[in-house]
Amino acid sequence: MANIAAKRIKREFKEVMKSEEVAGGDIKLELVNDCWTELQGEIAGPPDTPYEGGTFLLEIKVPETYPFNPPKIRFMTKIWHPNVSSATGAICLDILKDQWAAALTLRTVLLSIQALLSAAEPNDPQDAVVAKQYRENPQLFNMTARHWTNIYAGGPTSVWEFNQKVQRLLDMGIDEHQARVALSTYDWELERATEQLFC
Amino acid sequence: MAETSEAKASASAPGGDAGGEEEKRDERMLECNICLDTARDAVVSMCGHLFCWPCLHQWLETRPSRQVCPVCKAAISREKVIPLYGRGNTKQEDPRNKVPPRPAGQRTEPESNSGFPGFGFGEGFHMSFGIGAFPFGVFTSTFNFGDPRPSAAPRGTAQYEEEQFLSKIFLWVAILFVLWLIFA
Repeated sequence: MANIAAKRIKREFKEVMKSEEVAGGDIKLELVNDCWTELQGEIAGPPDTPYEGGTFLLEIKVPETYPFNPPKIRFMTKIWHPNVSSATGAICLDILKDQWAAALTLRTVLLSIQALLSAAEPNDPQDAVVAKQYRENPQLFNMTARHWTNIYAGGPTSVWEFNQKVQRLLDMGIDEHQARVALSTYDWELERATEQLFC
Repeated sequence: MAETSEAKASASAPGGDAGGEEEKRDERMLECNICLDTARDAVVSMCGHLFCWPCLHQWLETRPSRQVCPVCKAAISREKVIPLYGRGNTKQEDPRNKVPPRPAGQRTEPESNSGFPGFGFGEGFHMSFGIGAFPFGVFTSTFNFGDPRPSAAPRGTAQYEEEQFLSKIFLWVAILFVLWLIFA
């Protein structure tokens, strides 16, 4: 790995550890391997959002050309958000692509991702299905996001109705996550979800 | 190159983390915004952000089509950064073969005001020559001494050569015309 990348990550790592956000529990950063190429980030779901109370893990891969090119970051925790793929966790955020600037750090990037959770950009979606629901049925989107936060990120709000529907599909022998995706995609209409799963 | 700066850093702050907080804060002021190390071959952008020249150069090379300041995203270019020269650091110690030396500082000569306002064939001399309705127009030829006018181009530039050439031509034309008036 290029010297400058490793050196900078080490420096950033030290700074993140001393930052207010780490002390306040907003973000966390951990090393995955010894050569500073892979890290694991953690962000707290922002208050007053469906993600409140959840903890979201992020996979951070540092390219050799860092900081001249952005780190590769994706959600490892499943999340229902217009700008995050519900399947792969890929994030659609300009600063992780063409708007990257070399003075941005892992700390500022993690905070930007946290900010993205409170301010979605449905017009520049990563997940078209989620974005459509966000625009056309915001209340249902909120419930769904809260439900996903509860199941995958340890959020506090359990949605009884949704759990029941997932259980119904589970009883039919369908994989739990697959069932949840189908139900979320079809606005929790059991019939349409079932149809899609069995066709 | 990284080793030397690391050595420098640890020399100024023994034990890495140890060292006075104040000293550290001072050092942070002079950190490159890209490598986060003390800036080497420092340059500053027009928007006021400090970088190592090698770091900034690599940033500009990485995205030639979108050259923006890595900190504030203001427009930035190779020509518009100013090198910072500290004391006692005049020689370029680490010639990075891949990175071109940082751009040189631009020095403009101060405007020279000669001690004799209104006299001499120096830079303060200005002659204009006009032809009006003959014969009255002849007298519109004027000699202006010491009038405020755009400063002369700096010595050695192409513009300076040109101006010198033109003024010589006009001088000879004027002399010929006066001689013709006298003898004709």
